[in-house]
Amino acid sequence: MQKNVGKEDWVAMFKEVGLDDDAMKQWHQIFEKRHPEAHAEFLKWLGLSPDKIANIRTCC
Amino acid sequence: MKTYSISQLARAFGLSRSTLLYYDRIGLLRAAKRTAAGYRRYSENDRKYLERICMLRGAGLSLADVERMLSGDSGPSVAILEKRLGELGDEILFLRNQQHSIAAMLKNMTSHKCVTVIDKKMWIKMLEAAGMNEESRKAWHAEFERRASEAHHEFLLSLGIQESEARDIQEWSLGKL
Repeated sequence: MQKNVGKEDWVAMFKEVGLDDDAMKQWHQIFEKRHPEAHAEFLKWLGLSPDKIANIRTCC
Repeated sequence: MKTYSISQLARAFGLSRSTLLYYDRIGLLRAAKRTAAGYRRYSENDRKYLERICMLRGAGLSLADVERMLSGDSGPSVAILEKRLGELGDEILFLRNQQHSIAAMLKNMTSHKCVTVIDKKMWIKMLEAAGMNEESRKAWHAEFERRASEAHHEFLLSLGIQESEARDIQEWSLGKL
């Protein structure tokens, strides 16, 4: 049992419950639109680098 | 010639009677006359003099400076006004420092708030927005719990959920509750 979960684990968990890539992309879009600061905080909490965070926030 | 009682004059300038009595006592403004019964009667000149006193007091001058300005020539008056201008500059600087520290404190507090801005309610709303109903949210918790129980627990605490409720959610996700 691992203590830290990374981005891959999160993606895997959401896939396990039936979310596909499109659904997750859409989720980032909604999160960014509704709560931009919280979205950034969440990505930071996941342990992503500032580059990756900026990437996800602008791409999605 | 029109004269004024102490109350009339006080009311006209928004002062209290005791202020005028004090000005009388220190010799700043003495009533021109007294009635036979001993009541103060202020003349029109007294009224104009009080007007100047009030104007100088309104600029923040001390009573001593007001007296010096009204009795002296323009020499000391310039020095008094320059001194007051300098004092005001210091006060403004002092106030601006206070303004800056409060702004800095507020900035600190509000940026701190951002860290805990994702709470349980917001998280559920975001999962719902991703099309997850309660059943799939439960499956997600189960998956999280199965893969990384401790991380699951920490994540729940980070949403502001109490320790005991977090434990309940973990048990519930595994079908133990």
